[in-house]
Amino acid sequence: MKLLCLLAMIASVLMVQPASATSGPWEQPAAALAEQIAGILGTGQAHLIIQNNSTISTDKIPAIRRALEEALKARGVQESGAESANTIRITLSENIRERLWVAEIVEGNETRLAMIRVEAGALHQEVSTSEITLHKQAVLTTTEPVLAALEIADSYVVIEPEEIVIFAHSATGWEERNHIGIGQKRPLARDPRGVIFPSPDGQGFMASVAGMACSGTYQHAAPPVDWIVHCRESDDPWLLTSPRPPDTSSAASENLNAFPIRAFYNADRNSFTGVVTPSMGTDLPPLYTAVLIPRPDGAGLLMNGIDGKVQLVEADALKPIAGTRDWGSDFAALHSGCGSGTQIVASGSGEAISDSLRAYEVPALEAIATSAPLAMDGTVTALWTALDRKSVFAVVCKPSSQGHADIYEVDRVTANCN
Amino acid sequence: MLRQIAISCIVVVLALPAVARTRPHYGGTLRVEVEGDPWQRPGGLARRVVLDGLTAMSLDGTARPALAVEWKSENDDQRWQFRLRPGVHFHDGTTLTSANVVASLTAICGAGCPWTAIHAVGASVVFTSDSPLPNLPALLAGDNYLIALTGAGNTATPPGTVGTGPFQFGNSSNGVLILAANDNCWQGRPFLDAIEIHTHRSIHDQWLDMSIGRADLVEVPAEQLRQAHEQRLTVVASPPVSLLALTVSDSGALASPNLRASIALAVDRSSLFNVIFQKQGEITASLLPAELTGYSFLFSADRDVNRAHELRGGVPPPGLIIAAEGAPAMQLAAQRVALNLRDAGYNVQVAAAGVPQHIDLTLRRLPLESNQPQPAMESILRAAGLAIPVLEQTPAGLYKVEREILGAHLLIPLLYLPRAYAVSGRVRDLHLGPDGAPALAGASLEDAP
Repeated sequence: MKLLCLLAMIASVLMVQPASATSGPWEQPAAALAEQIAGILGTGQAHLIIQNNSTISTDKIPAIRRALEEALKARGVQESGAESANTIRITLSENIRERLWVAEIVEGNETRLAMIRVEAGALHQEVSTSEITLHKQAVLTTTEPVLAALEIADSYVVIEPEEIVIFAHSATGWEERNHIGIGQKRPLARDPRGVIFPSPDGQGFMASVAGMACSGTYQHAAPPVDWIVHCRESDDPWLLTSPRPPDTSSAASENLNAFPIRAFYNADRNSFTGVVTPSMGTDLPPLYTAVLIPRPDGAGLLMNGIDGKVQLVEADALKPIAGTRDWGSDFAALHSGCGSGTQIVASGSGEAISDSLRAYEVPALEAIATSAPLAMDGTVTALWTALDRKSVFAVVCKPSSQGHADIYEVDRVTANCN
Repeated sequence: MLRQIAISCIVVVLALPAVARTRPHYGGTLRVEVEGDPWQRPGGLARRVVLDGLTAMSLDGTARPALAVEWKSENDDQRWQFRLRPGVHFHDGTTLTSANVVASLTAICGAGCPWTAIHAVGASVVFTSDSPLPNLPALLAGDNYLIALTGAGNTATPPGTVGTGPFQFGNSSNGVLILAANDNCWQGRPFLDAIEIHTHRSIHDQWLDMSIGRADLVEVPAEQLRQAHEQRLTVVASPPVSLLALTVSDSGALASPNLRASIALAVDRSSLFNVIFQKQGEITASLLPAELTGYSFLFSADRDVNRAHELRGGVPPPGLIIAAEGAPAMQLAAQRVALNLRDAGYNVQVAAAGVPQHIDLTLRRLPLESNQPQPAMESILRAAGLAIPVLEQTPAGLYKVEREILGAHLLIPLLYLPRAYAVSGRVRDLHLGPDGAPALAGASLEDAP
């Protein structure tokens, strides 16, 4: 039996090795370009010159040259010295979308061209050396902005700027069932926001958008779930943390759930006024985001002011948190169980066009990155903690393809301990 | 070298926004100063924030929905149907309808439109053409085809200024145009409360106002980018968005293709780049910049005076007149080109202002209205008076088209130039669009109340 296993291993190694030794990202484009060159030049000899006008690093050029030489040789074009009558001048070029390899085939006074496109995207690799690794999984995709969403009673309740949309499970994933107009009378904001939480009795949801409050209850939990949704004008404060009773036994969780915090939202702006209830024992500045995080003496409220400063409200005092310069306005708590157990997942973009998410811990008064940035392939427009608190949800706006609206993707982001 | 320049331009663009993605503040008035007319086409700042197009250009160069939510083509791209966004209103409260859109587009281009006919069909606008228009969605995102309410306008609101955009005409007096936030904008209210545009301000005065804190956004001509950096202005610059080119008359002295080819070889792009434009932008002999195609290196930009002499064939040098459109730097560039041509044996004079005469060569800036190669090439050709539809979609096909067009030497590409602005420390999240115009609707002020 052992011998059989050994033979199988050897066989698998032998089968895999030739492929891994010869195939790489360059073989396919090299073969495609060589095919065109051979079609123009026919069989024979030519002097091969390669020039790199692209962002391909110079250490990759020998491999590309080898791939091109082999591909040309396989098609009857042998490389020769500079004295050859024929020259193949290959330029590795690129534009903002893709790489372009151009061959100028010089025969005497005549120059002919061959060009191929090379996809740029497949050539990037990332290596993580951090404490935790963030992963994302798309949950839902829509063409309307998603402000917040909640999975409850076999339904997915999505808050859009003007509607609440109820999705139900189907064989292919979530399927739209109901649209309920929110009925705002005031104009929409350019940067609309919303929140949704389960109702305290667990039989529905409570949602807030600028100037409006909505509530929904379901009639019976078995599918198909019937929802009754009501919206009304309201300037009541928005829930920032879940009002549900604690559902775990840990002291930290009890602390975090014991204080559902509400904050007054400025409906003419995209921020909270700084007035929260219950009082934090100190005046808060206007803020974009606030989350409760476990602290050695209970819980602290981590908040991001509209001035960009991240501060912790702890023991009736506001304490600045260092190491948050790269944070965006949105963050959420993730109870991953890794490290200290709780991380803050913050959005940021740095100098990249797309946003990323990154996990941090705040052991004292400094945020320390505990994961590599997770590229989100778009702009993160909303971020909140999932009901199970072991994941966070992010809404990512992705540019549209031609003729279509932008895509909004709701991603569940989870963490693996390394 | 060219790639480094292009990359440095992009870095400047991307470096301006805050380090992390933060939510913008609402409120405040942005103070802008411009040298020209903010309603001018193309590129007027007011047009861009007051009027919307059926489509808009996304940063990756594709057309995205704006006043039209979707579109489809039929009959080999000779019939296009654009379905309008419901519930959109002009600033005066008039509902956007397909009839409004048809009236606006007809008023814009009349008989010179790229399409043959345009009709309102229910909530859709239908374009038909005798030849394929594969790039129509991208074309409609351009500055030329923004939708204004026709028939509107009075002494308080000038014609062509009632749109659906994020800002609406407020008032205009003593060279100051006030645009107010459109609270009911279909895209959502802009973050700024108002934009105050001081018009017809010289670059010198604009920079002076910026230095003493009286302006938030001022213009930086490409030829003064270096100076702006030396003066420590915070500059946001686009990738190349306009092509400096010579358009060549095919009548009169330059009717001969050989003479036109000779002219193309005699021009010294390096001296224009180094001296007049202070090493900003990039030298080019191709219609499209390398960022869009990747093949522009195949067009040689080298000067060859000997070959230019040969092509002239010993013919006694004809007297040529060169003219320049636009700013003083263009006049200097025209004089420099005239010097180059004299080296190749031509007798060239720069056109005197206001004197009607046959122009053989015109130095122009041609806007690149898209960062998709096909519509970008069409926009350049159209601006140069060469209305040639570009149907090719592959790099090899585009290269062939470009080679054929340039082979006639009626258009001689010289430099690609960026568009640039200096911004005060109050301004955040200011991005430049694909055409280099600042996207003011997304900008906000750091110290907004």
